[in-house]
Amino acid sequence: MIEKKKLNIALAGQANVGKSVIFNHLTGLHQHIGNWPGKTIEKAEGTLFYKGYTIDVLDLPGICSLSTYSIEELISREFIVIQRPDVVVNVVDGTVLERNLMFTLQLLELERPTVMALNMVNLLKKKGIEINFQRLEKILQIPVVPVEAIYGKGIAEILEAVMGLVKTEKPSKPLKFGKEVEVRIEELIQSLKDVDVSYPKRWLAIKLLEKDKEVEKLVKEKSQKILEEAKKLQKELEEIHKHDSSFVIAAERCFLASNIAKEVIKITAPKKISFTERLDSLTSHKILGYFVMILILGMMFLTVFKFGNWLSSVLENILIGWQGSWEGIFGSSILSSLIWSAIESLVALIEIALPYIVPFYFILFLLEDCGYLARIAFLVDNLMHKLGVHGKACIPLMLGFGCNVPACLSCRIMETQRERFITGFLVTFIPCSAITVIIMGLVGKFLGIGWALALYLFVFLTIFILGKIASKILPGEPTELIMSVPDYKFPHLKTVILQTWFRLREFLFIATPLVIISGVIIKGFYLAGWLGPIANSLSPITVQWLGLPTITGILLIFGILRKELVLVMLSVLLGTSNFAQVLSPVQMLTLALVSMLYIPCIATISALWKEFGWKRALGIATFKIMFAILIAGFVSKILLIFW
Amino acid sequence: MEKRIPLTDLREGHSGIVKSINAGRMATKRLMDLGLIPETRIKILRKSLFEGPVEIEVRGSKLVIGRGLAAKILVESI
Repeated sequence: MIEKKKLNIALAGQANVGKSVIFNHLTGLHQHIGNWPGKTIEKAEGTLFYKGYTIDVLDLPGICSLSTYSIEELISREFIVIQRPDVVVNVVDGTVLERNLMFTLQLLELERPTVMALNMVNLLKKKGIEINFQRLEKILQIPVVPVEAIYGKGIAEILEAVMGLVKTEKPSKPLKFGKEVEVRIEELIQSLKDVDVSYPKRWLAIKLLEKDKEVEKLVKEKSQKILEEAKKLQKELEEIHKHDSSFVIAAERCFLASNIAKEVIKITAPKKISFTERLDSLTSHKILGYFVMILILGMMFLTVFKFGNWLSSVLENILIGWQGSWEGIFGSSILSSLIWSAIESLVALIEIALPYIVPFYFILFLLEDCGYLARIAFLVDNLMHKLGVHGKACIPLMLGFGCNVPACLSCRIMETQRERFITGFLVTFIPCSAITVIIMGLVGKFLGIGWALALYLFVFLTIFILGKIASKILPGEPTELIMSVPDYKFPHLKTVILQTWFRLREFLFIATPLVIISGVIIKGFYLAGWLGPIANSLSPITVQWLGLPTITGILLIFGILRKELVLVMLSVLLGTSNFAQVLSPVQMLTLALVSMLYIPCIATISALWKEFGWKRALGIATFKIMFAILIAGFVSKILLIFW
Repeated sequence: MEKRIPLTDLREGHSGIVKSINAGRMATKRLMDLGLIPETRIKILRKSLFEGPVEIEVRGSKLVIGRGLAAKILVESI
């Protein structure tokens, strides 16, 4: 028989345990970040070669349990049970072992061969914590490997432990609960004996007692009788414990975890106030914390904008040079200009990506990796609640000021689909750097900075009101912030760089096709002389309702490609950059407002598409067009009364 | 019996024992999976201004909980 030379392993663990660092060590650049089929949840896979084996590694989403509150949790447990990875590597943060054990216990219930990678052992000594690894191995009956992921220590040992398990194929053994729970689990296992499902019977029984909706549905299809039996047993447990039966099981696990922790953990040194704790009391301080936050974020924005503006002007000059030589070689025939417009769109995309998105992501991941993002979420939670989302939403919203694309993609940090969508929707209203160019170049320059700021204020107010409305009308409850706070640590540069690189690759991958195709189409329309007629057909809206010149239609079409083209095309089509000669103050304000509010640019639409599906992406785009026309029309009519 | 008070009424630096969680099913389970079950000892690390979230220490790890949810966790002060 040919020996099996291909292995599948899955990394599973709670958030902030250093899973991605271990993943990066294992797979290096051989990784591929995609989505789970039909879901907008990220799926990170990679490959490595070890002792003649090709090992596929899958990084399951960081979650806090295996019950079904979120899609991530459902995906993780289904993957483990249905796809049956050869080995599951449970990554655990040794400094908060007890909390992590709660998850480990659930993982053991899935009965796959399991290895525990006990990470952060380098921090144990500093914290005065001592863990008896042998004892832990004995209790859990799985190999426990001490790991210092940020120094790359213990990675080879994980692989060795995996190899050992592959040979024996020994499944993990769930730990036993208290007697009155255990009796009822046994009873259900007996009834489930003839039910044909891929899940372990004991796991099914536990989940039935926990009132897991997915499992109840699954069992109901097979046998209504077992479900009724489960209901009866739930009731019995509830009568004994005077608590919901799902809480009884959670408490059992908690009790087990706490007993294991007591047995294997020894706190040796009295805890003295460490540097990270002092840092924490400053950055999470009631009042000073806000100053520190404004300082850090201000510096982040300033760095990104300064760097971005500099790099994008450098890139632009290069592009202009290239256009000259392109026309010199290929002439300016229709075909040649069409091809050029494709190249131009691609280069323009890189002009957004390299100067703005890369530094934004880099700094963001740096802040995340050292643990500061969790503090920001703590500080602004209250403010974000007013928008119908919780603290973590501040990150995408902040990113939006640079570019809406990374902002939309970063909505993934929100837990529920509902929160993600509300945040993504609001992000598209945040004026990005290209819109800032329009506002400053049109309103700021000709009407004064006061009017420009007034427009910003107006948009913020709009975001506030829309956030309130969206959180009211969308089904589902607003979630409260529940977040474990990691200790501050020195960022792991390789992880930060890799994450930035994978995000950039992803951005180019999703945005490029749409941007190039639409760039060529609009150029084609332009060359065919169709833009004039299109602008004319839009005139009932642009001229009669909004009171703008007919060419506005053309501007707004170009603006879909890249927002700053509104301003660029205005000066091209009017043949002057002194807009005060051709536009009245009210027209300027109206045009600026429409540009701020109407359809997201094509790159943002593709990001929305990727995150929320095409229906919702087009929904947001349509809503924004209608909304912009409606609001800008009213504003212009009101302004005309006073002007 | 000690009086049960909402977790949010504990002062910073003070500890309490969790007695019950009267939140929705989802939120309650989520908290329990993070180790916050009845009879667990917790310590208030900090509360933020303007009815913002509360940071607590539970089973050796730190947890931030939104104020509204934290108010539904009843504790006995110790």
